[in-house]
Amino acid sequence: MPERRPGISGRSEVARRSVLKGGLAAFALAPLLQACGGNGTSSAGGGGTEKIPAPDNPITWDLSKKNPAIESGLRPERGSTLRIYNYADYLSPRMIKDFEKQYGVDIRLSTFNDADEALTKIAAGNLDFDLYFPSYDSLGRLVQADLLRPLNHDYLTNAGNLWPGFRDPWYDRGSRYTVPYTIYSTGIGWRTDKISDDIAALDNPYDCFWDTQYAGNLAILDDWHTAMAMVLLRNGQTNINSTDPDDIAMVRKQMLELQDTMNPKVTISMYTELPAGQYGLCQMWSGDAINTQYYLPKSKSIDIMRYWFPEDGVGEVDNDLVVCLAQGKNPVAAHFFINDLLDEKIAETNFGFTGYQPPLTAFTPETLVSKGYVPENLASAVVTEKAFDVGVPLLQLPAAADAAYHQIWQEFKAGG
Amino acid sequence: MSSLRWYRNPWRRPYGLMLITFLYLVWSLVPVLVAVLFSFNDGRSRTNWQGFSMRWYYGDPLRSVWHDASLHTALTHTLLLGLLATAITVPLGVAMALGLDRWRGRVPSGADVVVLISFVLPEILIAVSLLFVVTVVSTPVGLGTSGQVIGLVTYQLAYPVVIVRARLLTIGSDYEEAAVDLGASPGGAVRRVLMRMLVPAIFASAVLVFADVIDDFVIVRYLSGDSSTEPVSVKVYNTARAAPTPALNALTTLLLLASVLAVVGGYLLYRWFTRGEKEAGRLDVFTGEA
Amino acid sequence: MAERGARGGTRLLWPALAIPGIVWLGLLLVAPFYVVLAILFGGVDPILRQPVPVWNPVYWDFTQFEYVWQHIVGQDAFFRPALLRTVVYVGVASLLCLVIAYPVAYYTARFAGRWKGALLAALIAPFWISYMMRMLAWVNLLQTDGLFNKALSLGGLLDVHVNWLGGQPETVVMGLVYGYVPYMILPLFAGLDRMPAATLEAARDLGASRWETFRRVTWPLSRQAVVASVLVTSVPMLGDYFTTDLLSGSPETSMIGNLINNSVLTPGQTGQAGAFVLLILLVSILPMVLYVRYTRTAEDTAS
Repeated sequence: MPERRPGISGRSEVARRSVLKGGLAAFALAPLLQACGGNGTSSAGGGGTEKIPAPDNPITWDLSKKNPAIESGLRPERGSTLRIYNYADYLSPRMIKDFEKQYGVDIRLSTFNDADEALTKIAAGNLDFDLYFPSYDSLGRLVQADLLRPLNHDYLTNAGNLWPGFRDPWYDRGSRYTVPYTIYSTGIGWRTDKISDDIAALDNPYDCFWDTQYAGNLAILDDWHTAMAMVLLRNGQTNINSTDPDDIAMVRKQMLELQDTMNPKVTISMYTELPAGQYGLCQMWSGDAINTQYYLPKSKSIDIMRYWFPEDGVGEVDNDLVVCLAQGKNPVAAHFFINDLLDEKIAETNFGFTGYQPPLTAFTPETLVSKGYVPENLASAVVTEKAFDVGVPLLQLPAAADAAYHQIWQEFKAGG
Repeated sequence: MSSLRWYRNPWRRPYGLMLITFLYLVWSLVPVLVAVLFSFNDGRSRTNWQGFSMRWYYGDPLRSVWHDASLHTALTHTLLLGLLATAITVPLGVAMALGLDRWRGRVPSGADVVVLISFVLPEILIAVSLLFVVTVVSTPVGLGTSGQVIGLVTYQLAYPVVIVRARLLTIGSDYEEAAVDLGASPGGAVRRVLMRMLVPAIFASAVLVFADVIDDFVIVRYLSGDSSTEPVSVKVYNTARAAPTPALNALTTLLLLASVLAVVGGYLLYRWFTRGEKEAGRLDVFTGEA
Repeated sequence: MAERGARGGTRLLWPALAIPGIVWLGLLLVAPFYVVLAILFGGVDPILRQPVPVWNPVYWDFTQFEYVWQHIVGQDAFFRPALLRTVVYVGVASLLCLVIAYPVAYYTARFAGRWKGALLAALIAPFWISYMMRMLAWVNLLQTDGLFNKALSLGGLLDVHVNWLGGQPETVVMGLVYGYVPYMILPLFAGLDRMPAATLEAARDLGASRWETFRRVTWPLSRQAVVASVLVTSVPMLGDYFTTDLLSGSPETSMIGNLINNSVLTPGQTGQAGAFVLLILLVSILPMVLYVRYTRTAEDTAS
C-alpha cells in the first residue's frame, strides 16, 4: 500500500495527486469554516455551481455520460442478485419474496439508519447496490457525483398510475433518474393513555416538545433536517430550508433547550416504540403513525393513537424516491422492481406492511380508510395530492448552511 | 454473644461471599435464559408469554430465522468470520510469541509494546482507522468479509501472543536444550518439544479468539458491506433499535448453541490432544493470562 | 525456515517467526493511524463531502482538529459534557465491576472446592453469549411493560411504570457493568488463584480476623491482578457506544464513543472522528505505560 507513505522523497503519481486533492480540499473547506465560525453563513453557498431543485426552481438533470441508461427489451437474469439499500422495515418482505419467485432473482436487502450513513457507504463504492431510496434533498449530490444511472422509461409501464403531479416532478424534470416511492407528512404522534392533553387543540402543538411536563416522555426524529425544520415551523418560519443566520441561531438555541430540559430519545423507530409505550409523545412521520397499528400489543386498542398535522396544511410534506445506482450490477432487475413498485396491487401489499402511501391514483383517503388500512382516528396521517400544494418540502441546502445545521445537530446529539 | 463469636471465627464458611457469587450468577444468566425462553414464544411479544412454538425458528414463512435470509446469513457469516479469523490469528500469533520470546533487540521489544497496547486498545480505534484505510486508500481490501477478517485478526492477534508467551515463561528453556543436547536440530526441538508443550495454550487462545470474534461488534459493523456481511451482532443492533421480533431471540439462541458446541468440541479435542498429561483437564487454561 | 543451518540457524529462526506478525501489526495497526492523521488534517470533497486524505504533512490543515479542540476546552465546549460523562460512567462502572468481581473471583478461587470447575464454567458462560444478545435480553426485560417492571410491581400490587430505556444514566451504567464484569472476573480469578493459600492460612493461624487477613495479606498480594483487571475492562469501555445506544438512545447519555460514531459516518465531519480517535488513543496508552512501569518496579522489588 504505497499511498500510506507521504510523498516526501518520491515524485510518484500518488504524491502529486494527493497534493492536488489537498489543494482542492482546502478550497472546499473555506466556506465550511465560515459556517463553523458561528452564524456567518455565506449566502453564496459552497461550490458556487450547486444546483438545488425547488418547486419554484425545477431542474432537468443532465444525462450521465459515464453511466448510460440500459437498452430496452431486456429481461432480468435468472439467478442474479438484486442489491437494495433502504431504511429498515421500509419494504414488504412478502413483496420481496413474490418478486424473487416471479423473476428467479435473489434480492439482498441492506438497511441503513440515516441518509448520511447511506451516502458514506454508497460513496465507498464497492458494495454494488442496485437500488437506493433517497429523499430529494440528497438527489442533487447523487447526480452531481455521478452515482446514478438514468432510467429507461420503456420498462416503467406502470408510470401512468402515478398522481399527475408526480409524473414530471420539479426535482427531476422528465423523471430522468427517479420515480417517487412514498409520500408522507411529518407531524406529531401521541397516545391518549399517556398524554392527557389534546395536543391538536393546543395553540401551537409544536410547543409540546418544550413542555417540561413531558420531559423524558418524548422522542425526536433522528434526522437532522427534519428535526430542525420542526423548530422553524414552531416559530412560524414556513421556509424550513432557511439559510438566514438569525433563523439558524434560533434553531440552535431551541434545539439545545430541548436537549437540556426535555431529555428526548432520538430515534427513527417511533412505529415500534410509541406502541410499546417507551414514550407517549413524538415527532412522527405519517407512515409510521399508520404503521403503529401493526406493532401495538394485543392488550391495547388502536384508538389510543393520535397523529397531528397542521390543519391548514402548512407543514412538512415530502416524498421519497427510488433511484438506480450506477455501481449496481443488475440494472435490468432494478427497473423491473421499480415498475413493480408502481403496480397498484403490489403497492398495496407493500403499503400494508410499511404504512407509507405510494402516490398512486388508486389510493385515496376514502379507500384507505374503507379498506381498513388506516384506522379512522389516524385519518389525519393520510396524505392527499392537494397536501403538496401548500405543504413545504425539505430541500437540499447550500453547503455552508448544511454544515451549520449539521454542527447544531452534532451539538444536540453530544448531550449537554 | 455466641453469634459474634461465630462471626469472629476466621474458619467459618464464607456465607456472605457465597451469597454474592450466587446472586451474581443469577443476575448474569437469568436475563439470557429469559431471552432464550422468549425465542419460543408463540406471539410477537418479547415480554408476554403466549405459548410455546417454533414459529420464530422455522414456522413463520417470512420472518423466522429459517425463512428470512438476512437472519440465517447473519448466523453463517458470523461463524465464517469466526473460523477465518481464528485460522489466521492463531498461527500468526503463536509464531510471533515464539519469535518475540527469543529474539532480542529493539525491533522485538518495540513489537512487544505494540502487542500490549493493542491488547487493551478500545476496539473503536482500530475499527475507525481501518474503515478510513478501506474507504480512502485503494487496496484490494474492501468493505465486507475481507475487511472484517483483516480487522478482526489485527485486533485479536494479541491474544495468542500474550497467552503463549505466558506459557513459554513457565516452561523455560530446559526441555528444549535437553532435546538439542540429545541431537535434535533447534527447529526440531521447537517443533517436537516446545510445540507439544504449548498445545494447551494454543487451544486456549484459539477458543478465546473464536469466542471473541463471534461476539465482535464494533469492527465488523464498520467494515461490513451489504447485508450479506452483517453478522449476528450487527443484525441485533440494527433490529433491536427498529422492530425486533422473537426471531432475533431465536437467532441469538442459535448463535449461543453454536458457540456451546464449539466449546465442547474444542474441549474434547483438547483432551484428546493432551491425553495422558498431568495438566490436562484443567479448565483454567481457558482463562488465559490476561 | 532456517532449521537446517545447525545451531547458528536459530538466530534467523526467531526473527523469521516473529516477522509476519510484526509486519501485520505494523501495516494494519500502526500505519492506519497515519491514515487517521491524513484524514483529520485533510480535506473534504465538495460534492458528497467525503473525506479527502492529505498525505504530505506539509499541506496539513489543522482546522478540523482545532474545531474539536475548541469545543472541548474553549468557551463553547459542547463536546466536554460527553467526555466528562464518559469518565464518570466508566469510572463508576469499573468500580462496580470490581465490587462485584472481586468477591466472586475470590470465592471461586479459594472456597469453591470441588465446585470450582463448574462454577468457573458458569462464570465463563457470558463469554459464550454474545454481548449483543445480553444487551438484547435487557432491552426486553426493561420495556415499560417488561418483566422487570412486572417484578417490581410485585405481581400487580404496585403500579410501576418506570421508563428504564428512556435515557436513564443508571440503566446505561448497569448495562456497562453487566457487559464488562465477566472480563474482570477472569483475570482476577487467575491472580487470586495463584495466591499461596498457606500465607493466608498462616495469617489466620496467627489470630488475624477475616477482615484483617484480607486487608493486610490478600488485598496487597492481589493488587497487581486488580490493576490489570481494571485496566482490561475500563479501557475498552472508553470506546463503547452501543450500550448507551441500545439502552438509552438519548443524547443525555452520549459518551465519547457516540461522538465518534455520530461523526464518522456524517459527511463533512469524518475528520473530527479522527480527532476523537487520537484523544482516546492518548488516554488509553497513558495508563498502559504507567502499568508497564508499575509491574516493572513491582518485579524489581520482588526480586
